[in-house]
Amino acid sequence: MAINLRTTQAETREQRLGTITHWEGNAGQLARDSAHTHGCGRGCDNGGRRLCEQSTPFAQASMCAEHIAVTNATIIQEALVIQHSPIGCAVSQSSTCRYYRDLAARRGWKLEDPQSICTNLGEQDMVFGGIAKLEQTIREAWERHHPKVIFVATSCATGIIGDDVDSAARQLEDEIGIPVVPLHCEGFKSRHWSSGWDVIEHGILRRLVRPDPPRKQDDLINVIHLGGPDVFTPLLAPLGLRVNLVMGGNTLDRLAELSEAAATVTMCFVLSYLATGLEQEYGVPEIKAPLPYGLADTDEWLREIARVTHREHLVEDVIARERARIAPELARLRQALAGKRGFVAAGAAFAHGLLADLRELGVEVDGAYSFHHDPSTDSGDPRQDTLSHLVETWGDIPNYTVSPDQHFQAHAALLRAKPDFVICRHSGSMAVLTARMGIPVLPIFYSNDGLGYEGLLTIGRSILRILPRKRFCEDVAAHSRFPYQPWWLEQTNPFALGADPA
Amino acid sequence: MSPLESKAAADGEFCSPSGPIEQVRYACSLGALASVIAIPGAIPITHCGPGCATKQFHALSGLNAYQGGEFHVPSTNIGNREVIFGGTDRLDELIEATLKVMEAGLFVVQSGCIPGLVGDDVASVVNKYRRRGVPIVFAETSGYRGNNFTGHETIIRAIIDQYVGAYDGPREAGLVNVWSLLPYHNPFWRGDLGEIRRILEGIGLRVNILFGPSSEGVAEWQAIPRAQFNLVLSPWLGLATAQHLQQTYGQPFLHVPAIPIGAKLTGAFLRQVTAFAGLDPQRAEAFIAREEKEYYLYLRDFSAFYAGCTSQYRLPSQLVVVSESAYNLAVTRFMVDQLGLVPGRQVITENPPQAFRDAIRAQYRRVADGVSAEVDFAEDGHLIRRLIGETDFTGQLPIVFGSTWEGEVARQLEAPLVEIGYPSTDEVVLSRSYVGYRGALALIERTYTTVVRASTMG
Ligand code: SF4
Repeated sequence: MAINLRTTQAETREQRLGTITHWEGNAGQLARDSAHTHGCGRGCDNGGRRLCEQSTPFAQASMCAEHIAVTNATIIQEALVIQHSPIGCAVSQSSTCRYYRDLAARRGWKLEDPQSICTNLGEQDMVFGGIAKLEQTIREAWERHHPKVIFVATSCATGIIGDDVDSAARQLEDEIGIPVVPLHCEGFKSRHWSSGWDVIEHGILRRLVRPDPPRKQDDLINVIHLGGPDVFTPLLAPLGLRVNLVMGGNTLDRLAELSEAAATVTMCFVLSYLATGLEQEYGVPEIKAPLPYGLADTDEWLREIARVTHREHLVEDVIARERARIAPELARLRQALAGKRGFVAAGAAFAHGLLADLRELGVEVDGAYSFHHDPSTDSGDPRQDTLSHLVETWGDIPNYTVSPDQHFQAHAALLRAKPDFVICRHSGSMAVLTARMGIPVLPIFYSNDGLGYEGLLTIGRSILRILPRKRFCEDVAAHSRFPYQPWWLEQTNPFALGADPA
Repeated sequence: MSPLESKAAADGEFCSPSGPIEQVRYACSLGALASVIAIPGAIPITHCGPGCATKQFHALSGLNAYQGGEFHVPSTNIGNREVIFGGTDRLDELIEATLKVMEAGLFVVQSGCIPGLVGDDVASVVNKYRRRGVPIVFAETSGYRGNNFTGHETIIRAIIDQYVGAYDGPREAGLVNVWSLLPYHNPFWRGDLGEIRRILEGIGLRVNILFGPSSEGVAEWQAIPRAQFNLVLSPWLGLATAQHLQQTYGQPFLHVPAIPIGAKLTGAFLRQVTAFAGLDPQRAEAFIAREEKEYYLYLRDFSAFYAGCTSQYRLPSQLVVVSESAYNLAVTRFMVDQLGLVPGRQVITENPPQAFRDAIRAQYRRVADGVSAEVDFAEDGHLIRRLIGETDFTGQLPIVFGSTWEGEVARQLEAPLVEIGYPSTDEVVLSRSYVGYRGALALIERTYTTVVRASTMG
């Protein structure tokens, strides 16, 4: 389905991709059902059934799209974000600030606090509308900080009371003379927080990418990532490519340049909206290859980039050199990890990547937990079907749970898997749960850690560093308990409550 | 008056300030779910959007001194369907499922913005379970109606009225309910409540401390009506609760606005409580004497550092204190009265109800014998920076007691920063306390370690 940039609102990923948040079974079945229902082979006989979402009457606090959209808008340099909301939505400012400063230190940017302001709506505004306060805040923001762009993020409250944020943004944009970009990200509108990525990428595509690029830069490649250090330049510079690293903090210039690049790669297809949009609107080709997790897929990924950017003559050398470079340490890590059982908890394509890494490292994995599932990507290209690819390359994952970071379900899944360690993203509830169950955990804050050849070493070394913490985890586990009913504490089926209401 | 000055209601009710806020320093009412989590054996159930509860708790606990805490909160995670058709059916289903899956002595259902706006009748859903004898209460904590301070009193009121309930039995002499620091929001609340409990027990009281690791949890809440009196140990938070308890159970209350830090102030506080409660003065004096003996041995030895054998360090002389009112007043008093610093700029950041502000100002006017200080009320970081920028530090060496947000301004002033309030992202706090006898010593340690490091580590 084409991306629609005419409206200010991005369609949610449930609508575009058929995203689901609850499912349980083996990964092979999920891959087949997804392809059958939403994929390119829609309706064809691949052994799949109609993809059916499961449900459970119990639910625990999760995360919202507004959080993702606002965080990723705030870390854009020289931008200012207005959260048009009651104060509670904006309480995440302190964590966003910490994140930005950490990124700045790692990437060598100026160490300063990012700019964000909350309109701070109260009861009166709920009755009379919050637009006057929004206008006042936009003016105030401009006078205080003179940013180069202002994002205005909506919230559940402003969505329900029906504030016309688009008109206010247009009007203030004329008045102060910089782009004022609405981000429609009411938390209740999408069942999964990852829709927040689409919202910010929609805003970037519509307003921050240079629409008529004056030139093409043949050696520039857009790399869209979740955030973190630049692990791409060492791989791509030998091909004569310059990396335009976007999302996860960038300058407005870099975003403007997106339309000038020779190609775009996305490091996690949960974020593929931007790459697909760039191809659709500006003809910047999107690299359609499996993600570079594990040796063979990294080889293929580099070959595909070389093919699209006409650098085939350079690529085999790079591959051979990199493989030779990491070989001795990879062998050491494989030996040290032999016989260990791992478990992965992360979001969709990113989880698939980490699973591939673990299997490449010789770790046994038969359980995984994905925070949501995208049955398709925006391009719809089967080469971006990371789950099918994982199952074909590395074999099935017998216990594959889809659940939006639900503590009680993760508890059951971990009890069933009994791993020696867990790798997880969204280090909040999952990491704490794991440690409290006596299992050492590797929380991944910067998602580039597992990518490419070096990523195998990074992940392998990190696992070895956390394994000895088992002592701490087991001690705490032995002296604390979770407030679940005894029958749930023994439960190993994450969906037991839906299937059999006890 | 600045156009940004807050216009809180005059009747003691929270009213959100009229202007935009940078550098957010409190959560919304729903953030009071942290207070529920702080009661051992209680679990909040939130009826709100999918991100609200996690945001509040992650901000108050996760990043604020990395306190951790039991966060697996049942939540309806309201979506499109509930916004359009109402969310009471979903809430009903969630409560039913919660009772099957989770175990708690008390459930507190909290509503967020959405149910208030779409008009869900949450009370009648919850009442159905109360009639069945389920220990469950409902607190309306719509985010646009208040912050986590007012929300704290809302959940307390709900628990008292709907769970603790009527009581006409006898009262136990020497049993006290303590209403003091806001759990999680103040990074040191766990250790502080432990120290407050310790010193009150020292003079012969039995204490319902009600929140945190040193509390017996839900059982203590049931004992609230039996207490001889309520102690409100904070400038204003808890006063509404104490007044309500006075009406409901006829319990008197003692209001001590400044949490004591250090021997001088703690001794005076304990004598005041002893007199109010009619405790045995000899026992109290014996406890105070024992504590003072140890305290002053430490202070005697600290004077080697403080009096100047380490005079290469720039010992600060003037205060900037930016925090919620309880710590703001307590730390200002201690630093002025015990260590001899002079007041500089004191800014209170939690938007206390207008009705309490004059009384708070009066506290600063007699912050120590012969010392009067001024205090400002501001929530917006931009305004706070401006106030600090306008302060006269001529000839003085300032020190900042504040939050992570004061990092930039402290650097500009070349002043050390000691994090004492939300958000404190550069502190890892477990049981550390800054109040009473032992806490005062820890506060001195942290303060002057920071001062020394500012010299030695650049
Ligand atoms: S009110 Fe909506 S936008 Fe705000 S935190 Fe809650 S779910 Fe997210």
